[in-house]
Amino acid sequence: MTQPKTGMIRWWGLGVFVVFVGAMGLLWLLVVDGLVKTKIEEEGTAAVGAKVELGAADLTLFPAGLALTRLQVTNPDEPMTNSVEIASLTMNLDGLQLLRRKVIIDEMTVEGVRFGTARAISGAIDDRAQSAAVGQSKEDSTFSLPPLEVPNVQQILEQEDLETLKLIRAIQEDIQREREVWKQRLETLPGKAEFAKYQKRIEGLKSSTKGGVGGVLGSVEELKAIKQEIEQDLENLKSARKEFNEKVALLNQRMAQVQTAPQRDVQRLKEKYSLSPQGLANLGQTLLGKHIGEKLKDAFAYYEMVQPYLEGMEAEGGSTKKQSGPMRGEGEDIHFKEHEPLPEFLIRLAKISLLLDIGELSGRIENLTPNQGILGLPLTFAFAGEQLKDLQDVTIEGVLDHRDAVQPQDTIQFRAKWYRIQPVALSTQPNWPVALNNGFSDVTVNAELRGQAITVTGITQLSSLQVSAGKPGDTNPLTKALSGAVSDISTLSVQADVTGTLQQYEVQIHSELDRLLKDAAGKMVKNLAASFGRDLQSAISAKVTEPLKSLTSSFGGLDSLGGDLTSRLTKENNLLEGLLKEGLPKKVLPKGLTDKLPGGLKLPF
Amino acid sequence: MLRLLARLLRVLNSETNPGQISLGFCLAMVAGLTPFVSLHNLVVLLLILILRVNLSAFLLGVAVFSGLAYLLDPLFHWNGLQILTASSLEGLWTSLYSTTLWRLARFNNTIVMGSVAFSLVLFVPLYVLSNSLVRRYREHVLAWVEKTRLMQFFKASKVYHLYQSLPHLGGGG
Repeated sequence: MTQPKTGMIRWWGLGVFVVFVGAMGLLWLLVVDGLVKTKIEEEGTAAVGAKVELGAADLTLFPAGLALTRLQVTNPDEPMTNSVEIASLTMNLDGLQLLRRKVIIDEMTVEGVRFGTARAISGAIDDRAQSAAVGQSKEDSTFSLPPLEVPNVQQILEQEDLETLKLIRAIQEDIQREREVWKQRLETLPGKAEFAKYQKRIEGLKSSTKGGVGGVLGSVEELKAIKQEIEQDLENLKSARKEFNEKVALLNQRMAQVQTAPQRDVQRLKEKYSLSPQGLANLGQTLLGKHIGEKLKDAFAYYEMVQPYLEGMEAEGGSTKKQSGPMRGEGEDIHFKEHEPLPEFLIRLAKISLLLDIGELSGRIENLTPNQGILGLPLTFAFAGEQLKDLQDVTIEGVLDHRDAVQPQDTIQFRAKWYRIQPVALSTQPNWPVALNNGFSDVTVNAELRGQAITVTGITQLSSLQVSAGKPGDTNPLTKALSGAVSDISTLSVQADVTGTLQQYEVQIHSELDRLLKDAAGKMVKNLAASFGRDLQSAISAKVTEPLKSLTSSFGGLDSLGGDLTSRLTKENNLLEGLLKEGLPKKVLPKGLTDKLPGGLKLPF
Repeated sequence: MLRLLARLLRVLNSETNPGQISLGFCLAMVAGLTPFVSLHNLVVLLLILILRVNLSAFLLGVAVFSGLAYLLDPLFHWNGLQILTASSLEGLWTSLYSTTLWRLARFNNTIVMGSVAFSLVLFVPLYVLSNSLVRRYREHVLAWVEKTRLMQFFKASKVYHLYQSLPHLGGGG
């Protein structure tokens, strides 16, 4: 047994503590760079959906800062390409805020930013299919050239199934079916045989010789039964006639539609095949819309990529649940109001140098944070470049204001001066190809997003244009006229207006091109359209005349059925009315009882 | 673990001050029940090293209480949530939230707050109870335990030989 030591304090323990803490600090310093690198790669990969790789990370404590070298972010859609590759990032961190678990970067310098660089090995992390969730413009369905050939009416009518004929066939089938149905129905309704039976029964009553109270009461009962049966028959006949009339009215309505159907066929086929002045008026949109739409799609894709990083993930004073990992040691962080609130992540100023194909663009981004609501300031950015390849100068600046997460307000302005246009095919239609071979453009774009509503106005002044159109040896007068007009264009002003949402937007393009084309070929198109309309009208009329006659004849066949029904109703009605008016009750019944007959023997019609 | 058990038996059977053993248990409760990598556990470590508490009791206690903490985490979360969202304490928490040291201590985490509050509330009762149990063990149970067949068997075992092989370090462990 050992003797217990006296005294509560053991001073050597303090030395052990100091050594222990020092050793831990040293160990942390040795491994922290690796930890930072791994953390960035893991978090980045999870966020992007493809490999994010970092060459090296270097964390310094005094002053607090971090330097990252060769950051590569794989394009998830193209794993052998980097979306972005950054040569170096250096940043000054707010050390005090770091202790409060907030990453506040006072200034960041980003150098050597390149887009779309090739990768040595694939950056895919799984086999999931990536699809661009970018908005779909209406351009895909509407940006197609109108037919530029003079249409052949006979060929069209051979290819097309006329709505008029379809309607006639359908009504004829219905008339036939109704005729069969009503023929069967008439067999079940009261007819000559039933009338004869009633007559016989009434004659029997008239000639009845039975006397006494029993005889009288028997006659009354029989009379009452006949009356009820006749009433029932009349009800059935009236109901059938009403139903028949309704069917006929319905068929009549459809017959009326048939009368106007040929005109509708003419209109539909004219719209489908004819050249219209309206179609020509939209030719500018058709030629330019596709290319403008593609640029918009790219721009919206970039915006949607950035957007999640601007959305506030937690509100001030709210709480953030962290339940993804195990419960042990995780819990929930409760947030309280701060005297000087700051978001969890903030880059106050980032100076960025972009190395693009056209040259170097430099710029700055201020107040980059996913919690603008807490910071109280919107993100602002501005980039500029001068004397670039194929471009004299370019500026892009904007404000992304997501302080109100529900109603963000973003504005972006883009200006490019003296941009050399790359050769591009405006129309690949075989009978009228159009290519823009050369030219320069000054572009100004103002984009605004308020909530979900986007408004973009782009104006471009094209100059020194070289446009080729048409094919050699073209004999079509229309395309020849259009080609001549397009090839003569050397300057052009184009305005594109985009409205809608990022998911569904509409592009309207206005340019002098429409007027130029209209001047060149408008009258020709108008005459061709009028001639085509007349030919189509005559051809369709000729094609539907016989079927219409046949239909009218079939419809007339229904009249005989209706007449039969009315005749039966009238006969039965007259028969009964006549018989009763003959004073049957007075002959059969003693005086004084006639008034007591049920219903007074009044006929129901 | 065998070595730790052997050392604890040795301490219990020695003349080590019961208060030192109890304090070791109580500090182990704080370190074991709360998230291990926390600022307050650095304070616990300092206390363990600077105060003359029994290290064997502490280490065994940490192992036991850490295991227990996994079961009690839902309770700690609920407990912490109640404390942190109590309207009467809102002013205090808001004030602490603006202080770097307290933010570093992660006081605003429900598990941290719940487990620290739980272990601090139980600290003194556990100390008193533990003291009493050690004394009672030594007065009434130790002699009987020494004579039991189980103890005889234990003395012949590997654990006992291990216990015998330990250097005599004294009560402080």
